[in-house]
Amino acid sequence: MSVPKEDGMPFPSELLSDVFDELLDCIIVDVASESHRIARLGLDRHLDDEEEELRLSAEARARASDPSHIGEANGKYVVDIFGQTHPAIANEIFECMNCSRSIVAGRFAPHLEKCMGKGRKARLKSTRSSTAAQNRYSRGSPVSNTNRLANGSAGNAGHEYSNGASEEP
Amino acid sequence: MLGRRNASIQPRPTPDAEMERAIHPSLQQIVDLKLVESGEKERLKELLIERLVECGWKDEMKTLCREFARKKGRDTVTVHELVKVITPKGRASVPDSVKAEMLQRIRSFLASAAT
Repeated sequence: MSVPKEDGMPFPSELLSDVFDELLDCIIVDVASESHRIARLGLDRHLDDEEEELRLSAEARARASDPSHIGEANGKYVVDIFGQTHPAIANEIFECMNCSRSIVAGRFAPHLEKCMGKGRKARLKSTRSSTAAQNRYSRGSPVSNTNRLANGSAGNAGHEYSNGASEEP
Repeated sequence: MLGRRNASIQPRPTPDAEMERAIHPSLQQIVDLKLVESGEKERLKELLIERLVECGWKDEMKTLCREFARKKGRDTVTVHELVKVITPKGRASVPDSVKAEMLQRIRSFLASAAT
């Protein structure tokens, strides 16, 4: 393919415009095609509703977390939709099912990491041994007690309840 | 095989205009080829889309399409109709700065491709 080369090769402006126009027309077709798809699938209707909903919930969230709305001195406490406040760190205490220790709920995840995961000490613990299970049952914490009674079955520690379980026929 | 030999002897049809164009491509076509094979055409298109989104042009076009589809009936609208609806406004409402930027990029690409 031989192209006659002119010195300096001046590009006529219409050449550039033609390239631009072709790109633009291509994009116009793309946009039309996209809009056509949205129209045929009815996505713009739901899109509007969803956008509206997202916008309203974002606004509500902004209002709720705005410190000027909170009566408490502590700016961290926010009010949820029921008007309740929640502390930043959950303060319920319960028993770890792995090591049977009393753990603050908000600190449970890091505790579990140490308890189950990395350490040499953690791996030496036997979680499924009867000792741990008996520790659990003999402690008599309210939660596990009611569970055992309601089920009517107490696993390998069932014999401990035979005198106390009035549910068993 | 015997039948085929005769076929090659038959006279070829005279080259028509289309073949002429293929043998002697216009400058326009050469430019287009250079743009495509270097990947620059794709990059230019991506850049143009980005600019048109930034300045709200795309949203404008989509709004026009949406309104037209609602009026005409969303189940009967065709791509062809939408193209016809947005083309005049679309071509006219590209910001001058965007067009200038694109033309400049095309020019500098061709200058570097020609050397």
